Amino acid sequence: MTVLIVDDHPSFRASARTLLESEGYQVVGEAENGADAVKAARELRPDLVLLDVQLPDIDGFKVAEQLRRLVDPPAVVLTSSRDRADYGPCINVCGACGFVPKADLSGAAIAALLVA
Amino acid sequence: MTLAWRPWLYFGPAALIAGGLAVALTATSDHEQHPGQTIALFLFVSSSFILAGLIGWTRRPWNRTGTLMVAVGFGVLIGVLSEANHPIPFTLGALFGSLFIAAFVHLLLAYPSGRLLSRRARVLVGTGYAIAFLAPLAESMFAARETCKPHACPENLVLVSHDHAAHVVATALWTAAAVVLFAAVVMLLLGRWRETTPGLRRILRSVYLFGGLSIVLLAIGFVVTPFSGVGAVFVSVALIATFTTVPFIFLAGLLGTAIARGAGVGAIFSSVPERASPDEVQEGLRSALRDETAVVAYWYEEDEHYVDVEGNRLDLPEDTRRRVVTRLDYGDQPVAAIVHDAALLQEPELLEGVANAARIALERDKLLVEVRARAQRYRALLQAMPDLMFRISRDGRYISYNAPSERDLVNDEVIGKLLWDRLPVDLADRVLESGRAALGGDPSVIEYYLDFEDGRRHYEGRFAASGDDEFLMIVREITERKQQQEELEASRQRIVAAGDAARRKLERNLHDGAQQRLVSLSLSLRLAQNQVAKSPARAEELLEASREELMQALEELRELARGIHPAVLTDRGLEAALEALAGRAALPVEIDCVEDVELPPPVEAAAYYLVSEALVNITKYAGASAVKVSIGQVNGYALVEVVDDGVGGADPERGSGLSGLSDRVSSLNGKLVIDSPPGAGTRIRAEIPLE
Repeated sequence: MTVLIVDDHPSFRASARTLLESEGYQVVGEAENGADAVKAARELRPDLVLLDVQLPDIDGFKVAEQLRRLVDPPAVVLTSSRDRADYGPCINVCGACGFVPKADLSGAAIAALLVA
Repeated sequence: MTLAWRPWLYFGPAALIAGGLAVALTATSDHEQHPGQTIALFLFVSSSFILAGLIGWTRRPWNRTGTLMVAVGFGVLIGVLSEANHPIPFTLGALFGSLFIAAFVHLLLAYPSGRLLSRRARVLVGTGYAIAFLAPLAESMFAARETCKPHACPENLVLVSHDHAAHVVATALWTAAAVVLFAAVVMLLLGRWRETTPGLRRILRSVYLFGGLSIVLLAIGFVVTPFSGVGAVFVSVALIATFTTVPFIFLAGLLGTAIARGAGVGAIFSSVPERASPDEVQEGLRSALRDETAVVAYWYEEDEHYVDVEGNRLDLPEDTRRRVVTRLDYGDQPVAAIVHDAALLQEPELLEGVANAARIALERDKLLVEVRARAQRYRALLQAMPDLMFRISRDGRYISYNAPSERDLVNDEVIGKLLWDRLPVDLADRVLESGRAALGGDPSVIEYYLDFEDGRRHYEGRFAASGDDEFLMIVREITERKQQQEELEASRQRIVAAGDAARRKLERNLHDGAQQRLVSLSLSLRLAQNQVAKSPARAEELLEASREELMQALEELRELARGIHPAVLTDRGLEAALEALAGRAALPVEIDCVEDVELPPPVEAAAYYLVSEALVNITKYAGASAVKVSIGQVNGYALVEVVDDGVGGADPERGSGLSGLSDRVSSLNGKLVIDSPPGAGTRIRAEIPLE
């Protein structure tokens, strides 16, 4: 499964790449803001976008909506260092498959969301 | 009115007896040529005076005019004694027969009160009595020979000599004295007439005219008699005619006031309209009292003084001989008063009648005048007020205004204008709405502003009803207060905004710093966990990296916590906290703190952040090489001073750092002064009250 990681913190992108690759995911690209994320998704056509909610330009929910409108849209999993409860219903309405807190990130957690 | 009938009891019979004696004496006289005429004359004159006098005495017991008239009447009868054939009554009659002339002078000078009020009058009357006794005495002592017909006169008991020369001298002397006296009396009467009030003139006119004429004729008679028999007869007839008129004049005067009383009361009811204004009532009273100078005063209960028909305060004058006050009271309660000509006191029935009739009308008017007085007072009060004030009608038209300062008028033209002519439409609407609310018993206050050439001014308008169809708008400028309020509000908002910004920054710092590190740590640990079995060396590497990450996260959390509230300030006090601050600063900081300074916690915190933020600013902008911080305490104020040797030119208006400091200090009612001349360093000084 191909993955695009979107986060403005390089340390998180590095940790996430290491973690996901160790669990068999194929990280095909990284982006550090919303605009780059949409562009990269259109070019790389990943199966999954791991998308940070808090981005320097546009927030993750808006990015998720744009991604959903792409031809053959990728599955989107939102992530944040904040808790799911901080965002309320936004996560369900933006078209993402789900949310995983950064600290709980693992291949298994993502797989569980995709099945559901 | 009280009628005193007692005088009739004594003087009525006395007059009848005296009259009877007079008739008897004259009828039996052997030296009287015309007893019939003489009897008629004496009885007519004396009875006129006695009768008129007794009537006057009865009607005016307190007035001595009646008494004097009775005295004149009896005086006339004394003269009849000279008709007696016996020497004693004959001599007495000759000696005292002229006293009635003095009594008449007395009557004339004492009129209308019956009392001699001036010293001159008393001297004249005294002299008159003296002459009236002494002149006949001299005349009798040096009598002319045989003046009686048809028989010789009875013996003259006081005769000294029949010497013709002595007789002429005595007669001339006393005639001259009498003429001088009469002249003095006439002069006195004329003088009195000239200076008397119009009211009194009306009373005096006829009496003075006929009385004065009698006196003049008497004087002429005295001069003429010795020389011309025909002339004497002529003057005597005129004198008798005049003299006998006088009592009837008095009588007419007495009855006349009764007539006048009816006329006066009638005049009030006829000349004053049904719903008369106080002015009309006063006019009515003036015409009823026939006194154009009469003034009506109404009792104003609220302030306990009298007011005139216009509602102005009126203090009643002291009674004088020309003007007196008649108070109209209802029980103990004053209702009104009339200030009038003193002469009206001589017509008590008129005054009483008019006063009684007026009392009713005045009682009613009192209410109206009270309203006027109140309005007068309000006007005075409003004049004295330092505020801008407008009287505005219910339909929004300016009636009058009071503007202590013209600068507050948007337009000089006020009276007659409509609200919408002078004010912005929405404000005019608000003013009228509030004014009408005030008319409906709901006084209100509005705040508004007007833009003048030199800037915006804020006002506060208060509303109160000032009549059925008009209200008052009292305006006070509140620009200064408003500016202070706005400044305070802005400062509060800045504090709140600064607090929000600080929290946002804190959240961001937590999120970007410690939290990210902990997230990474969590992921690293998970990776290490995965690697423990497969590659222990790799796992150890990951654990080592995780420990580094954790140390950094801890350091960042410590830094953040210090930003939220420095623990050292709470634990060790301001001086220690400042020392710690100085230790972390990028440039040398000298701390000069007064020993044992004990400040309330909020002031300590303010001082700490003031120094902290000042140091941040200095580091960023001042280019300074050293900073000195002083903390002191003077007269209930904490003084915090931060001085650097940098480039200066700091502007509190620019940049949020200094303005944030100012807000923090002003939130504690303190004052922040920044002195920062370009090129000469910056001195930031805060004074914060300790209470």
